[in-house]
Amino acid sequence: MTAIAVQRVPARTRRVPLRGVAWVTWRQHRAALAGAVALLGVLGVYLLWMGLEMHSAYAKVDACHPAGSAVCHNLLQSFNQRYYGTQQGSVVSSGLNAQTVPFLLLAVPILLGVFVGAPVLARELESGTFRFAWTQACGRVRWAATKLILLAAALTVLAYAFSQLFAWYFSPFLAEGKTSKFPMQLFGNLGVDFAAWTLLAFAVAAFLGVMIRRAVAAMAVALATCTVLDVATMMALRQHYATPLVVSGNNPPGSESAWLLGQWLGGPNGQRFYPSNIPLSVQNSSNPDAFQNWLRTAHITQWWSYVPGSDFWRFQLIEGGWLLGLSALLIAAAIWAVRRRAA
Amino acid sequence: MNIIETAGLGKRYGRTWALRDCTLDVPGGHVVALVGPNGAGKSTLLNMATGLTTPTAGRVTVLGGVLAGSPPALDRIAFVAQDAPLYKNLPVTDMLRVARFLNLRWDAERAAARLSRLGIEPGKKVGALSGGQKAQLALTIALARRPDLLVLDEPLAALDPLARHDFMQSLLSEVAAEGISVVLSSHMVAELDQVADYLIVLGRGQVLVSGEVSSLVAAHGVGLEKLVLGYLREASMEVAA
Repeated sequence: MTAIAVQRVPARTRRVPLRGVAWVTWRQHRAALAGAVALLGVLGVYLLWMGLEMHSAYAKVDACHPAGSAVCHNLLQSFNQRYYGTQQGSVVSSGLNAQTVPFLLLAVPILLGVFVGAPVLARELESGTFRFAWTQACGRVRWAATKLILLAAALTVLAYAFSQLFAWYFSPFLAEGKTSKFPMQLFGNLGVDFAAWTLLAFAVAAFLGVMIRRAVAAMAVALATCTVLDVATMMALRQHYATPLVVSGNNPPGSESAWLLGQWLGGPNGQRFYPSNIPLSVQNSSNPDAFQNWLRTAHITQWWSYVPGSDFWRFQLIEGGWLLGLSALLIAAAIWAVRRRAA
Repeated sequence: MNIIETAGLGKRYGRTWALRDCTLDVPGGHVVALVGPNGAGKSTLLNMATGLTTPTAGRVTVLGGVLAGSPPALDRIAFVAQDAPLYKNLPVTDMLRVARFLNLRWDAERAAARLSRLGIEPGKKVGALSGGQKAQLALTIALARRPDLLVLDEPLAALDPLARHDFMQSLLSEVAAEGISVVLSSHMVAELDQVADYLIVLGRGQVLVSGEVSSLVAAHGVGLEKLVLGYLREASMEVAA
C-alpha cells in the first residue's frame, strides 16, 4: 500500500520577486534618503564651491616660479592663511576653513546613519503596520533583509561619494605637507572611514529600532552609542592597529606624513627620563643647545614611536574591516530579531 | 479540509496564559465567528494562525496541514489585523502597489473596481480616509490577494453602526461569490447574527464551544446572541464557584 496521507508539497516554492520588494523599500524610505541627500548636498555644495576657489588659488601657488623666491613664498603664505586658517589662536575661533571644516564633518556619518536607520523597523513596530507587512506572501525575513541591505548599500555609496569630494577639497594641504592624514578629523573623512562609520551607525540604529520598538528612542540611544564608540576609537583604539615603529634621534622621524605617537628619553642603562628628571640648570639655560649638550654628556637618547605615512591605507582597511564586520553582524541580528519577534 | 487545526495550543505572555490548551478543528467553507469578551485570547489565536506569533505550547496548522506562518501559508491566507494597520502616509494607489509587490497573487482589476464602487479616491492619503473607508481598503487589499482563507481580527470594532453594516454586507457578497473561508473575531455578537454559520466561543483563554451555528441553535432553541451569552455566563459561574 502506498502512503496516502502525504502532504502535497509544491515542487518549488515561488518567491516574491526582489524588484518589487526593492520598490516598496524605495517608496517607504525615499523621504529619509532625500533627507540624507539634502544634508550631504548642502555640505557638498560648500566643499565644491570652496574647493574650486581654493584649487584655482593653489594652481597659482604651484605655478609660481622660481619656487624659492620671496614672491612665491608670500603667495603660499597668503594662500595658507586664507584657506587653512591662521596658525595663531584657537582653531575654533578662526571660522570655516580647511582646519575647522573636517572637525564639523566628523559628526555627519553618525547623524546620517542614525537618521535613516532607526525608523526602518521601529516605525513599523510602533505603528502596528508590521502586522500588515509580516503577513504578506513575501515573508518577514525576506522583507527585512531586502530593506536593510538595500538601504545600507545606498547610504554607504552616498557617504563614500561625499568623502571623495572631501578628499579632493582637502588635497592641496596634503600636497603642501601641512599635515599627515592621521589626525582624527582627517582620518575620519578620508579613505573608507566616513562611509564605514555611516554604515555602522545605520546598522546600530536599525538593530536598536527592532529592540526598542520606538523610532525616536532608538535614534537617541543609537546616537549616544555610536558617539561613544567613535570617540573611543579615535582616542584609544586606532593607534593600536599596528605596532608603531620605534627609533632614536634628535628630530621627529618620518616625514610630515607620519603619525607621531610618543616621545621619551632613555638613559644609558635603559632607564626612562621624564621632564622632571631634566636638571633645572638645563631647563632654565638660555643656551639653545643646552638640552642637546646635556643629552650627549649624560649619554641619554631621545626615542620616538610613530606610524609611517605609508601605513595610512593599512589603518583605513583595518578600521573599515571591523566596522563592516560589526555592521553585518548587527544587520543579521536585526533580521534575526524580526524573525523571532512575536506580535 | 480543515482551515485551522490546533492541538494543545497555548500562548503565555510572562506569567499569564493568553490562550491555554486550545484544541480545535475548524472546517473550511464557512464564515467562522470567533467570539468572546476582551482578553479572551481571540487575537492571540488569530496571530498564531497567521504566523505573527509562535505558540508557547502545542501546534497550529492551516489549510489542511500547512504550518502556520510558512511561505505557502502566508501566500494563501490574507489577514486584516485589528485596526486595519496600513501605511497612513501613502496614497491609496501606492498602498495597493506595496501590497501587490509583497505578494505573488494579485488581482489589480478587482482591487480597482472595488475601490471605485466604494467611492474611495486612489489619490487620497490612507491617513485621510474615514474609519469605514480604511477598513474597506484593508478588505480590498486582502481580497485582491485571492486568498483561500480570509482572517479578520475585530474588523468592526472601530466602525460606526452604518459602516459596520456596509462592511459586513460587502464582505458577505464577495465571499459568497468566491467560496473562500472566512474567520472573523468580534466581541460584538449582535453583528454576527445572519453572517456567521460557524461559531467558536472563547472565554478566559479557553475554548467554551465550537460548532455549526444551525446545529447549536437547534440544540438549544435560542438565537445566536443568547447562545453565546449563555456559554459566557456559564463559564464565569464556574470560575466563581
